[in-house]
Amino acid sequence: MTSKLNNVGFIGLAAISSLAATPALAAGTTAGTTITNTATVDYQVGGVAQGQQSASNNFTVDRKINLLVEEVGTVTTNVVPGQTNAVTTFQLTNSSNEVLDFALVASQIVGGTAAHGGTDSFNATNVRIYRDNTSSGSIGSWDAGDTLVSGYIDELVVDTAIRLFVVADIPAGLANNAVAGVTLRATAREGGTSGSQGAAITETTGANTAGKDTVFADVAGVTGDAARDGSHSDDDDYTVQTATLTVTKTSRVISDPFNNTTNPKLIPGAVVEYCIAVANSGSADATSVVINDPVPGQLTFNAGTILLNGTVTAGTCNADGTAGGSYSAPNVSGTIATIAAGATRTLVFRATVN
Amino acid sequence: MRPALLLMLAAALPGPAFAANQVALDNKVFVERVSTDADGKQRILLEEPKLVVPGDRLVFVLNYRNVGAQAADKFVVTNPLPAAVRFAGAGDTEPLVSVDGGKQWGRLDELSIATADGAHRAAQPADVTHIRWAFQKPIPAGATGKLMFRGIVK
Repeated sequence: MTSKLNNVGFIGLAAISSLAATPALAAGTTAGTTITNTATVDYQVGGVAQGQQSASNNFTVDRKINLLVEEVGTVTTNVVPGQTNAVTTFQLTNSSNEVLDFALVASQIVGGTAAHGGTDSFNATNVRIYRDNTSSGSIGSWDAGDTLVSGYIDELVVDTAIRLFVVADIPAGLANNAVAGVTLRATAREGGTSGSQGAAITETTGANTAGKDTVFADVAGVTGDAARDGSHSDDDDYTVQTATLTVTKTSRVISDPFNNTTNPKLIPGAVVEYCIAVANSGSADATSVVINDPVPGQLTFNAGTILLNGTVTAGTCNADGTAGGSYSAPNVSGTIATIAAGATRTLVFRATVN
Repeated sequence: MRPALLLMLAAALPGPAFAANQVALDNKVFVERVSTDADGKQRILLEEPKLVVPGDRLVFVLNYRNVGAQAADKFVVTNPLPAAVRFAGAGDTEPLVSVDGGKQWGRLDELSIATADGAHRAAQPADVTHIRWAFQKPIPAGATGKLMFRGIVK
């Protein structure tokens, strides 16, 4: 029989290669389905139609466990120190041919390279998993109306993808570009019972049975998640984007009572201009930057000379900006609404030497 | 040569012959696994369909034998495709196919499918609902043969 069948099997190697080129099927026929094939023969003998003959065979479609966990998007989640509810987004797809539960675990990587090339350097806290509520709220992005997942996804139907959010809090006091990697791993569990997590699934080992066997067909996920283990995983990361501010104070003599503005000297009665420059070398805008500077006792503040939000060119204070700020002896103060990442803004004021 | 012989047989036995099980049929299905050996050569193995999951390739094999004493004429084998199987060719056995549940028959490249907007498109293997082999020549007494087609588990 085998040799004959092999002959049949070799009828079309070309046909096989064309089959391989067809698109991958999705979950497909439900596990446990019996496929019956029946052929019938009609014929005549001596010109007389004979009774129809038929022959059948059948087999059972086995259970193929396949799932996919994918990060949504290919960029890190930017966070600021102290941020709560920082969100990374994943998608879980049940590509098995049976309705299944999926156990979910969100974990943090410790050290090593995170999802987007950075080196993991801190751990987020209060890590939770939410399932997107697709009927209300902001669909596709996290909001308070999404469902907090308690360990597993219940009865995920075949060929269905759901969006999951790993939500965590970011500790305070982190440096710019610090990275925390997170991993979301889903493991297929038996379905069929709504409201409770199904039992673990094991692959059918040993001889095939005529009934419904189980085959793991998942691909490998992140490091440590092998192919064909009934689970899949992906990783994402948080990157701290914070403002890093440095302050520089410069001064110059504007005028004196004798030379006026031509080569003025620092004598009593001379006017001195102070420039307090705040540079943001971080990756995030700094907002509501409050500058406070006590005027030395040997000087008298010149009312109405405060300029805010001025600029610096090649390290030289331009002494520009808009009037503002306040003076409450001995302090000059002012608030700059925003200092963008990479920018420098100034507070400028004048005082007279006593 | 053979038609002459059959004519002679028919002449010798003019009376109607209606015998049960004049033809024996044997219908089998196998899962086709392709393995690549150390030399990179592909080998095709046909296995019993014990472990079958969606996407697996199947080979359906139909063996027939004329177990009667006379030739079987107008020999037509019809195989409706199981709903969970997508047709994937029949090698060189070149059957007729139907894409409309067995109403019309033809070569796959001659058939078309009416689309929702009233137009027609060429039929694809996935459209096939029935396969049929209609033999032009009688099957002599005692003769055997084998038909096959391939499918993919949906």
